[in-house]
Amino acid sequence: MSTPTATGRIAREATERSPHVDFDLDRRRLLLEGESYPEDAAAFFGPLVASLRRLVAELDGEAMTMELHLVYFNSSTAKALMNMFLLLEEAARQGNEVVIKWHYHSDDEAMEEFGQEFAEDFEHVAFQLCRID
Amino acid sequence: MLAQHYLRYRDDLAAQGIIFAFTGYVSERILYSLGEALKQKMALDDTDNNVIKRVFSVFVEQVQNIIRYSADRVGGSPGEPGTELSSGMVLVGMEGERFFVVCGNVINRDDVPRLQSHLEHLAGMDHEALKAYYKQQLRAPSEEDSKGANLGLIEIARRASEPVEFDFTEVGDEQSFFCLKAYI
Repeated sequence: MSTPTATGRIAREATERSPHVDFDLDRRRLLLEGESYPEDAAAFFGPLVASLRRLVAELDGEAMTMELHLVYFNSSTAKALMNMFLLLEEAARQGNEVVIKWHYHSDDEAMEEFGQEFAEDFEHVAFQLCRID
Repeated sequence: MLAQHYLRYRDDLAAQGIIFAFTGYVSERILYSLGEALKQKMALDDTDNNVIKRVFSVFVEQVQNIIRYSADRVGGSPGEPGTELSSGMVLVGMEGERFFVVCGNVINRDDVPRLQSHLEHLAGMDHEALKAYYKQQLRAPSEEDSKGANLGLIEIARRASEPVEFDFTEVGDEQSFFCLKAYI
Protein backbone atom coordinates (compact mmCIF):
# COMPACT_ATOMS: atom_id res chain seq x y z
CA MET A 1 0.00 0.00 0.00
CA SER A 2 1.17 3.51 -0.74
CA THR A 3 1.93 5.96 2.03
CA PRO A 4 -0.98 8.33 2.71
CA THR A 5 -0.36 11.86 1.47
CA ALA A 6 -3.36 13.46 3.12
CA THR A 7 -1.83 14.02 6.56
CA GLY A 8 -1.34 16.89 8.96
CA ARG A 9 -3.68 19.46 10.31
CA ILE A 10 -5.23 22.69 9.09
CA ALA A 11 -6.13 24.91 12.02
CA ARG A 12 -7.43 28.46 11.70
CA GLU A 13 -8.75 30.78 14.35
CA ALA A 14 -12.17 32.25 13.76
CA THR A 15 -12.19 35.82 12.49
CA GLU A 16 -15.01 38.36 12.49
CA ARG A 17 -16.41 36.73 9.42
CA SER A 18 -14.80 33.39 8.90
CA PRO A 19 -15.28 30.27 10.97
CA HIS A 20 -12.91 28.46 13.28
CA VAL A 21 -11.44 25.57 11.30
CA ASP A 22 -9.82 22.46 12.68
CA PHE A 23 -9.15 19.85 10.04
CA ASP A 24 -7.23 16.94 11.52
CA LEU A 25 -6.41 14.79 8.53
CA ASP A 26 -4.74 12.07 10.58
CA ARG A 27 -7.84 11.57 12.69
CA ARG A 28 -10.10 12.27 9.72
CA ARG A 29 -12.05 14.93 11.53
CA LEU A 30 -13.12 18.30 10.13
CA LEU A 31 -14.65 20.98 12.32
CA LEU A 32 -16.19 24.29 11.25
CA GLU A 33 -17.54 26.64 13.89
CA GLY A 34 -18.93 30.18 13.87
CA GLU A 35 -19.98 32.65 11.20
CA SER A 36 -18.96 32.42 7.58
CA TYR A 37 -19.18 35.18 5.00
CA PRO A 38 -15.53 35.56 4.02
CA GLU A 39 -14.44 38.18 1.54
CA ASP A 40 -13.34 35.49 -0.88
CA ALA A 41 -15.07 32.19 -0.17
CA ALA A 42 -13.16 30.37 -2.91
CA ALA A 43 -9.82 31.40 -1.39
CA PHE A 44 -10.96 30.49 2.11
CA PHE A 45 -12.52 27.11 1.36
CA GLY A 46 -10.39 26.09 -1.64
CA PRO A 47 -7.55 24.57 0.41
CA LEU A 48 -10.02 22.76 2.70
CA VAL A 49 -11.89 21.26 -0.23
CA ALA A 50 -8.60 20.22 -1.86
CA SER A 51 -7.36 18.52 1.33
CA LEU A 52 -10.70 16.83 1.84
CA ARG A 53 -10.61 15.54 -1.72
CA ARG A 54 -7.18 14.00 -1.13
CA LEU A 55 -8.27 12.54 2.18
CA VAL A 56 -11.44 10.85 0.92
CA ALA A 57 -9.53 9.46 -2.07
CA GLU A 58 -7.32 7.56 0.38
CA LEU A 59 -10.07 6.29 2.67
CA ASP A 60 -10.16 2.54 2.82
CA GLY A 61 -13.05 1.75 5.08
CA GLU A 62 -11.99 4.14 7.87
CA ALA A 63 -14.46 6.42 9.62
CA MET A 64 -14.53 10.13 8.86
CA THR A 65 -16.46 12.89 10.62
CA MET A 66 -17.36 16.44 9.74
CA GLU A 67 -18.77 18.61 12.51
CA LEU A 68 -20.48 21.91 11.84
CA HIS A 69 -21.46 24.48 14.47
CA LEU A 70 -22.46 27.36 12.24
CA VAL A 71 -24.64 30.30 13.22
CA TYR A 72 -24.64 32.18 9.92
CA PHE A 73 -23.22 31.62 6.45
CA ASN A 74 -23.67 33.35 3.10
CA SER A 75 -24.51 31.81 -0.25
CA SER A 76 -20.89 31.45 -1.37
CA THR A 77 -20.18 29.49 1.79
CA ALA A 78 -23.24 27.30 1.13
CA LYS A 79 -21.72 26.40 -2.21
CA ALA A 80 -18.43 25.43 -0.56
CA LEU A 81 -20.25 23.36 2.06
CA MET A 82 -22.15 21.52 -0.66
CA ASN A 83 -18.89 20.75 -2.46
CA MET A 84 -17.51 19.19 0.73
CA PHE A 85 -20.72 17.27 1.44
CA LEU A 86 -20.73 15.86 -2.10
CA LEU A 87 -17.18 14.54 -1.57
CA LEU A 88 -18.28 12.93 1.68
CA GLU A 89 -21.41 11.48 0.11
CA GLU A 90 -19.30 9.85 -2.59
CA ALA A 91 -16.89 8.48 0.03
CA ALA A 92 -19.84 7.02 1.95
CA ARG A 93 -21.29 5.53 -1.21
CA GLN A 94 -18.00 3.70 -1.71
CA GLY A 95 -18.44 2.05 1.66
CA ASN A 96 -16.59 4.34 4.05
CA GLU A 97 -18.22 5.21 7.32
CA VAL A 98 -18.88 8.95 6.99
CA VAL A 99 -20.80 11.10 9.46
CA ILE A 100 -21.77 14.76 9.15
CA LYS A 101 -22.98 16.37 12.38
CA TRP A 102 -24.95 19.56 11.87
CA HIS A 103 -25.28 21.39 15.19
CA TYR A 104 -27.82 24.18 15.55
CA HIS A 105 -29.51 26.06 18.36
CA SER A 106 -33.14 25.14 18.96
CA ASP A 107 -34.27 28.75 18.37
CA ASP A 108 -32.30 29.20 15.15
CA GLU A 109 -34.81 28.68 12.34
CA ALA A 110 -32.39 29.36 9.50
CA MET A 111 -29.73 26.88 10.63
CA GLU A 112 -32.37 24.25 11.40
CA GLU A 113 -33.88 24.64 7.93
CA PHE A 114 -30.51 24.53 6.18
CA GLY A 115 -29.62 21.39 8.12
CA GLN A 116 -32.88 19.69 7.20
CA GLU A 117 -32.45 20.57 3.55
CA PHE A 118 -28.93 19.23 3.38
CA ALA A 119 -29.97 16.12 5.31
CA GLU A 120 -32.74 15.20 2.86
CA ASP A 121 -30.33 15.46 -0.06
CA PHE A 122 -27.93 12.72 0.94
CA GLU A 123 -28.47 9.02 0.81
CA HIS A 124 -25.25 7.35 1.92
CA VAL A 125 -23.59 9.75 4.32
CA ALA A 126 -25.06 9.80 7.86
CA PHE A 127 -26.19 13.43 8.07
CA GLN A 128 -27.15 13.99 11.70
CA LEU A 129 -29.09 17.01 12.94
CA CYS A 130 -27.90 17.84 16.45
CA ARG A 131 -30.22 20.26 18.20
CA ILE A 132 -28.73 22.31 21.05
CA ASP A 133 -31.25 23.54 23.63
CA MET B 1 -29.50 76.74 4.98
CA LEU B 2 -26.98 74.01 5.47
CA ALA B 3 -28.78 72.42 8.37
CA GLN B 4 -32.16 72.85 6.71
CA HIS B 5 -30.93 71.26 3.53
CA TYR B 6 -29.61 68.15 5.23
CA LEU B 7 -32.45 67.97 7.70
CA ARG B 8 -34.84 67.83 4.77
CA TYR B 9 -32.72 65.08 3.26
CA ARG B 10 -32.81 63.16 6.54
CA ASP B 11 -36.56 63.70 7.01
CA ASP B 12 -37.17 62.50 3.46
CA LEU B 13 -35.51 59.22 4.29
CA ALA B 14 -37.30 58.95 7.63
CA ALA B 15 -40.66 59.55 5.93
CA GLN B 16 -39.99 56.46 3.81
CA GLY B 17 -39.26 54.44 6.92
CA ILE B 18 -35.53 54.32 6.25
CA ILE B 19 -33.57 53.60 9.39
CA PHE B 20 -30.24 53.12 7.75
CA ALA B 21 -28.81 54.41 4.48
CA PHE B 22 -25.46 54.14 2.81
CA THR B 23 -24.48 55.45 -0.58
CA GLY B 24 -21.04 55.61 -2.09
CA TYR B 25 -18.13 53.25 -2.38
CA VAL B 26 -18.38 49.98 -0.48
CA SER B 27 -15.76 47.42 0.35
CA GLU B 28 -15.91 44.14 2.26
CA ARG B 29 -14.73 46.01 5.37
CA ILE B 30 -17.54 48.50 5.10
CA LEU B 31 -19.97 45.61 4.61
CA TYR B 32 -18.76 44.09 7.87
CA SER B 33 -19.03 47.36 9.84
CA LEU B 34 -22.44 48.28 8.47
CA GLY B 35 -23.67 44.75 9.12
CA GLU B 36 -22.53 44.89 12.74
CA ALA B 37 -24.24 48.26 13.28
CA LEU B 38 -27.41 46.92 11.69
CA LYS B 39 -27.50 43.81 13.90
CA GLN B 40 -26.78 45.89 16.99
CA LYS B 41 -29.54 48.37 16.21
CA MET B 42 -32.09 45.64 15.60
CA ALA B 43 -31.08 43.86 18.80
CA LEU B 44 -31.44 47.10 20.80
CA ASP B 45 -34.95 47.43 19.38
CA ASP B 46 -35.77 43.94 20.67
CA THR B 47 -36.19 42.55 17.18
CA ASP B 48 -36.75 38.81 17.07
CA ASN B 49 -33.46 36.97 16.59
CA ASN B 50 -34.65 35.06 13.56
CA VAL B 51 -35.80 38.29 11.90
CA ILE B 52 -32.40 39.87 12.60
CA LYS B 53 -30.73 36.94 10.91
CA ARG B 54 -33.00 37.10 7.88
CA VAL B 55 -32.47 40.85 7.44
CA PHE B 56 -28.73 40.42 7.93
CA SER B 57 -28.61 37.61 5.38
CA VAL B 58 -30.45 39.68 2.74
CA PHE B 59 -28.21 42.65 3.55
CA VAL B 60 -25.00 40.63 3.10
CA GLU B 61 -26.09 39.11 -0.21
CA GLN B 62 -27.18 42.50 -1.56
CA VAL B 63 -24.00 44.31 -0.54
CA GLN B 64 -21.81 41.48 -1.85
CA ASN B 65 -23.66 41.77 -5.15
CA ILE B 66 -22.79 45.48 -5.25
CA ILE B 67 -19.17 44.72 -4.42
CA ARG B 68 -18.93 42.08 -7.13
CA TYR B 69 -21.12 43.48 -9.89
CA SER B 70 -21.31 47.26 -9.68
CA ALA B 71 -20.05 48.63 -12.97
CA ASP B 72 -18.88 51.76 -11.14
CA ARG B 73 -15.66 50.76 -9.42
CA VAL B 74 -12.30 52.26 -8.64
CA GLY B 75 -8.87 51.05 -7.63
CA GLY B 76 -8.04 47.41 -7.27
CA SER B 77 -4.78 45.66 -7.93
CA PRO B 78 -4.80 42.30 -9.65
CA GLY B 79 -4.25 39.50 -7.16
CA GLU B 80 -5.03 41.71 -4.19
CA PRO B 81 -8.63 41.11 -3.19
CA GLY B 82 -10.22 43.83 -1.12
CA THR B 83 -8.31 46.72 -2.69
CA GLU B 84 -11.16 47.62 -5.02
CA LEU B 85 -14.11 49.87 -4.20
CA SER B 86 -17.53 49.45 -5.80
CA SER B 87 -20.16 52.14 -5.84
CA GLY B 88 -23.72 51.52 -4.83
CA MET B 89 -26.40 52.22 -2.28
CA VAL B 90 -28.05 50.17 0.40
CA LEU B 91 -31.02 51.14 2.55
CA VAL B 92 -32.73 49.31 5.39
CA GLY B 93 -36.12 50.45 6.57
CA MET B 94 -39.45 49.49 8.04
CA GLU B 95 -42.91 49.62 6.59
CA GLY B 96 -45.46 48.78 9.24
CA GLU B 97 -44.07 45.73 11.02
CA ARG B 98 -41.85 44.61 8.21
CA PHE B 99 -38.23 45.34 7.45
CA PHE B 100 -37.09 45.93 3.92
CA VAL B 101 -33.67 46.10 2.31
CA VAL B 102 -33.08 48.07 -0.89
CA CYS B 103 -29.91 48.09 -2.91
CA GLY B 104 -28.98 49.89 -6.07
CA ASN B 105 -25.99 50.00 -8.34
CA VAL B 106 -24.98 50.71 -11.89
CA ILE B 107 -24.52 47.74 -14.22
CA ASN B 108 -23.59 47.35 -17.88
CA ARG B 109 -26.71 47.55 -20.01
CA ASP B 110 -25.76 44.30 -21.75
CA ASP B 111 -26.26 42.50 -18.45
CA VAL B 112 -29.83 43.75 -17.96
CA PRO B 113 -31.75 41.09 -19.98
CA ARG B 114 -30.09 38.16 -18.22
CA LEU B 115 -30.54 39.66 -14.75
CA GLN B 116 -34.11 40.68 -15.50
CA SER B 117 -35.16 37.24 -16.72
CA HIS B 118 -33.48 35.61 -13.71
CA LEU B 119 -35.32 37.92 -11.30
CA GLU B 120 -38.65 37.44 -13.10
CA HIS B 121 -38.14 33.71 -12.89
CA LEU B 122 -37.56 33.98 -9.12
CA ALA B 123 -40.53 36.34 -8.62
CA GLY B 124 -42.83 33.71 -10.11
CA MET B 125 -41.77 31.03 -7.63
CA ASP B 126 -43.39 30.16 -4.31
CA HIS B 127 -41.45 29.11 -1.22
CA GLU B 128 -41.25 25.44 -2.19
CA ALA B 129 -40.18 26.19 -5.76
CA LEU B 130 -37.47 28.55 -4.50
CA LYS B 131 -36.23 25.86 -2.14
CA ALA B 132 -36.02 23.31 -4.96
CA TYR B 133 -34.30 25.81 -7.26
CA TYR B 134 -31.83 26.78 -4.54
CA LYS B 135 -30.93 23.14 -4.01
CA GLN B 136 -30.48 22.59 -7.71
CA GLN B 137 -28.21 25.64 -8.07
CA LEU B 138 -26.23 24.62 -5.00
CA ARG B 139 -25.25 21.40 -6.79
CA ALA B 140 -24.71 23.01 -10.18
CA PRO B 141 -21.09 23.61 -11.20
CA SER B 142 -20.16 27.28 -10.73
CA GLU B 143 -20.41 29.43 -13.83
CA GLU B 144 -17.10 31.04 -14.59
CA ASP B 145 -18.36 34.61 -14.67
CA SER B 146 -21.17 34.42 -12.18
CA LYS B 147 -19.15 34.46 -8.93
CA GLY B 148 -22.17 32.92 -7.25
CA ALA B 149 -24.70 35.66 -7.98
CA ASN B 150 -27.47 33.25 -8.92
CA LEU B 151 -27.39 31.63 -5.53
CA GLY B 152 -27.23 35.00 -3.76
CA LEU B 153 -30.39 36.22 -5.48
CA ILE B 154 -32.21 32.97 -4.68
CA GLU B 155 -31.12 33.32 -1.05
CA ILE B 156 -32.58 36.87 -0.98
CA ALA B 157 -35.84 35.64 -2.53
CA ARG B 158 -36.08 32.82 0.01
CA ARG B 159 -35.60 35.12 3.03
CA ALA B 160 -38.12 37.63 1.66
CA SER B 161 -41.76 37.47 2.73
CA GLU B 162 -43.06 38.36 -0.73
CA PRO B 163 -41.67 38.41 -4.28
CA VAL B 164 -38.63 40.64 -4.58
CA GLU B 165 -39.25 43.94 -6.41
CA PHE B 166 -36.73 45.09 -8.98
CA ASP B 167 -36.34 47.73 -11.64
CA PHE B 168 -33.85 49.17 -14.12
CA THR B 169 -33.41 52.65 -15.52
CA GLU B 170 -30.96 53.78 -18.17
CA VAL B 171 -27.90 55.83 -17.23
CA GLY B 172 -25.94 57.29 -20.12
CA ASP B 173 -25.42 55.22 -23.25
CA GLU B 174 -24.04 51.98 -21.93
CA GLN B 175 -25.18 51.57 -18.36
CA SER B 176 -28.34 51.04 -16.35
CA PHE B 177 -29.16 51.61 -12.71
CA PHE B 178 -30.40 48.41 -11.13
CA CYS B 179 -32.53 48.46 -8.00
CA LEU B 180 -33.82 45.63 -5.81
CA LYS B 181 -36.19 45.72 -2.83
CA ALA B 182 -36.87 42.79 -0.55
CA TYR B 183 -39.36 42.75 2.31
CA ILE B 184 -38.43 40.48 5.16
